[in-house]
Amino acid sequence: MNAPAQALLLAQRALVQFPRNPILLGFSVMPVLIMYLVFGGLFEGVAELPGFPTENYFEYLAPTAILLATVPGIGNAGVALAADFQSGYFHKLLTTPTSVGALMLGRLLGDCLRLAVQASLVLLLAIALGAEVATGVPGALLMIVMGTLLGIVTFGAISANLAIRTRDAAAVQAIQPMAFLLIFLTSAYQSADHIDSGVLRTIIELNPAEHVLRPMRELMLSGYDWGGIGIGFLVIAALGVVALPLTARNYRSAYS
Amino acid sequence: MTKSSPLAGTARSALDGLIGPARTQRLESARPLGDAIVLEGLAKTYPDDTAAVRGISFRVAAGESFGILGPNGAGKSTTIGMLGTLVKPTAGRAWVAGFDVVAEAAEVRRRIGFAMQQAGVDDFATPEELMILQGRLHGLRKHEAAARAGLLLGVMELAEEADRRLATLSGGTKRRVDLAASLMHLPPVLFLDEPTEGLDPRSRSGIWDTLDRLRSRLGVTLVLTTHYMQEGDRLCDRIAIIDRGRVVAEGTPAALKAAVRRDATLEDVYLHYTGRTFEDTRVAA
Repeated sequence: MNAPAQALLLAQRALVQFPRNPILLGFSVMPVLIMYLVFGGLFEGVAELPGFPTENYFEYLAPTAILLATVPGIGNAGVALAADFQSGYFHKLLTTPTSVGALMLGRLLGDCLRLAVQASLVLLLAIALGAEVATGVPGALLMIVMGTLLGIVTFGAISANLAIRTRDAAAVQAIQPMAFLLIFLTSAYQSADHIDSGVLRTIIELNPAEHVLRPMRELMLSGYDWGGIGIGFLVIAALGVVALPLTARNYRSAYS
Repeated sequence: MTKSSPLAGTARSALDGLIGPARTQRLESARPLGDAIVLEGLAKTYPDDTAAVRGISFRVAAGESFGILGPNGAGKSTTIGMLGTLVKPTAGRAWVAGFDVVAEAAEVRRRIGFAMQQAGVDDFATPEELMILQGRLHGLRKHEAAARAGLLLGVMELAEEADRRLATLSGGTKRRVDLAASLMHLPPVLFLDEPTEGLDPRSRSGIWDTLDRLRSRLGVTLVLTTHYMQEGDRLCDRIAIIDRGRVVAEGTPAALKAAVRRDATLEDVYLHYTGRTFEDTRVAA
């Protein structure tokens, strides 16, 4: 059996495994939906500020909610990987003729699909709350793809590497709040123009997640900003070039 | 050797069903073997300078059942881990089924089954799903994998648990599932790391019986680690007694015991060659 076929089998396994853990399933979607509703309600007045790009704050917040679903959400994949180490199942897989690349790609594919479904749920909630996607279904799909890929190359890689190094699900879970920082330090809740602190604006500008969030928001609120979309994918690719080989190297290190 | 079989009739017939068609298939794909396993000065020192294995050499003939006997911490699991391609040796070489465990690790993996000391199972899967996935990763077609999983579930008396989540099953049952999954591709070489650790006497006896039959009917080469003297006596044609990463004695159980004294046990053999009892080494570990 070739590596792509093995990867598909393992992706299928990851997808079947996830809903069977109701706690993991619940906690990977519910907090995001609750945060979306709570923050949307709390900061609704922000949309009344002069120059704010939309009158519906839930619309502004929708791309943020997608990132909240995908970036911290992928941390659960690291938890599942650490659990495979703890149970000994990962080593069982290592004794099969499955390539390390297929092991990694299988989990990656499974998680991409899972995150895409979670992000879609968030977007559906936004639409139910009166938000409209300016670019329609194609734009919505593009937002989901960008959010999912950002999750994979940032916190997905961090949690997978931590899982392989520590082989401890609790350790992977412990760093999950860090994923929220990556999103909070963007224009997630307020447009950068309306933030007074120069330091914060600089941090936001330096945060790679900001350069993915911005074109996503454009897709939601106005249209296709191809320049911004290109920069977003370049940022994802740059992070991927660093993160994925490092993760592959750590996967191979499982053979002690 | 005691050969009494606690294997139920249905399990026995399932085993026959498995062996019948599979024997031809496996033998056709097997490479002619003299020694199934060869170790030459194999050693492993971990990055923290722990020398777990300090230059081990032995040979295991095709179809032979070979035991690596020793207390916890003796280097058994590291040795079998190196043979199973999970642990990279730091010195020496080893070949399994004619392939180098480092340079040709992928070829080795195609030809081995490996049942872990810690049952390597996915708690969210069912035994049947786990076994089918294992078979598929070894290249079996979907229907072949499903049919073989069904037979092996029968062999291991797991049919009633086939659709239950592994998380809900006992440790002993998980180990049987792990063993069954290791057999999905009918490997010519089977590694068993402490195969009956934590099992009740009946389950232990059942596994011994199954291993006997697989070996005699399929010609599977077995390499197992154990710290149960009775298991070494019952299952192994030959034994290497390992202590502090070195082989201190090797031979048939009968020859090892005879070399010490007429009514000696393997425990006496261990004491004779190491100056310590198993109990001493367990306490020290």
